[in-house]
Amino acid sequence: MSSAGKIEETDLRTSNERLKKYIREKVNHLLSVMGTKPLNKEELDDSTLIELDPIGIIALSFEQVLEHQKETNRRLTVAKDQLQAVFDTVGVCISIIDEDMRIVNCNEKQKELLVSSNTKAIGRHCYDIYCGKDSPNLDCPAVETLATGKPVFIREVKKKHKHFQIVTSPLNDADGKVTGVIEVSMDVTEKKKVEELMRQAEKLTAVGLLAGGIAHELNNPLGNILGYATLLLKDRESGLRPEHREKLEIIVEQAKKGGDIIRGLLDFSRQSVPSFSNVPINDIIRKTVRTLQNRFSSQRIKTDVVLPETFIVRADPRQIELVILNLLLNSIQAFEGVNGREKTISVRTGRENDFVQVTIADNGPGIPEEILPNIFDPFFTTKPIGKGAGLGLSICSGIIKEHKGSIHAGSEAGKGTEFVFLLPAAGPASG
Amino acid sequence: MEHTAEDIVLDVRGQICPACLLITLSELNSNKERLKGEKARLVVKTDHRDATRTIPGAAFAMGYSVSVVQKERHYEITLEHEK
Repeated sequence: MSSAGKIEETDLRTSNERLKKYIREKVNHLLSVMGTKPLNKEELDDSTLIELDPIGIIALSFEQVLEHQKETNRRLTVAKDQLQAVFDTVGVCISIIDEDMRIVNCNEKQKELLVSSNTKAIGRHCYDIYCGKDSPNLDCPAVETLATGKPVFIREVKKKHKHFQIVTSPLNDADGKVTGVIEVSMDVTEKKKVEELMRQAEKLTAVGLLAGGIAHELNNPLGNILGYATLLLKDRESGLRPEHREKLEIIVEQAKKGGDIIRGLLDFSRQSVPSFSNVPINDIIRKTVRTLQNRFSSQRIKTDVVLPETFIVRADPRQIELVILNLLLNSIQAFEGVNGREKTISVRTGRENDFVQVTIADNGPGIPEEILPNIFDPFFTTKPIGKGAGLGLSICSGIIKEHKGSIHAGSEAGKGTEFVFLLPAAGPASG
Repeated sequence: MEHTAEDIVLDVRGQICPACLLITLSELNSNKERLKGEKARLVVKTDHRDATRTIPGAAFAMGYSVSVVQKERHYEITLEHEK
């Protein structure tokens, strides 16, 4: 062999050695990725290595790994979408809150009930977004769960004028450390309203029966007291001294007041059966407003009555007149002590599906939020003793319910109060 | 549970890693369709303890379920399509 040939053979051997070293290095790298030991030169000589083709084997295996990864990702996406659908469509609010009380995630129901539109909730403090506060409440269940690592159940929590039942459960990391809270809350506002109505209805029934019974029993003796006292006053030969006559006049006056209260109780217990007919509600309103015109004038109250259409309702006109009278008197009384500004009572009628809606509103001082739920309770009054029996609104509520309608009040401190009642319409609206 | 898939038996006793892993991977590749179609299972017989760690790890990443049973003088690693 020539020297040139020898040089070429040496170069080729060197090149082969470099290539084999490269293959071993790459194979070892791939094997370490697969989690196994590097190749052992004594066990796998060069020719066996080339014959076995480990790079080819591992390449094909990676193809299967990738296929499996793709399939796993697809399944995870499907599972995630399903879970997200459940998360969003379940009828309760769900929030995940971290240890700093920031919202990590929340479902659609949560957003619908407690997050204002266009507000980004994720990453914000839950007490800010859900409760409208600068710091957590002292009795916040999420705070308790974060502190104790235990679930907390709260029967009722008020957030942004809604009532919720809440369960908080801890979120733990692999070491068991509490890293957050899952808060599940159910809106019980409607349930609470129904319970309140049922409670009120039961109370009304019981009090109505009692009041009706007592009123009947008291009516006769009170009638006798009033009758005999009036007779004595009219008897010119009784020889009453002026101071006795004065005292008798007080007896008559007080007996009459007692009579008014008894009439109120009898109305409240509604022992008279309503007599239904088709009546134009606007006529009843105009008549009642006219009746009170002197009161409005003497107290400088402006009336704003807008009754654009004729609405016919199925109602007992005498009872509905009583309702409107009570509500207007209530508004007039709301202005007691109000001076130096315009006082207005407005009355509106309108159609609300199958009902006719009557709204009586005043711009008086308003009813405090804490007593608003009680105003339709019998004997509930804010007036001084002797000034009112607390039956007016209760009578209104009873009459409207008997007419298969509904009544509610809204009020804002300093801005006024609005009473709205609905009565079944007797026919379509006409101009 | 009774199975109807055919067992492909691979006996790599006497071999150590990485050779037994490479041979198993080669078998998984060449029988991929049958294994994925649940028509066959691959049963690897090995007496190399390391293989009971490396083969299941790689096979699991490729989407196979793995069971390892210790026999009297060897291990039996069964690989089948993950359901």
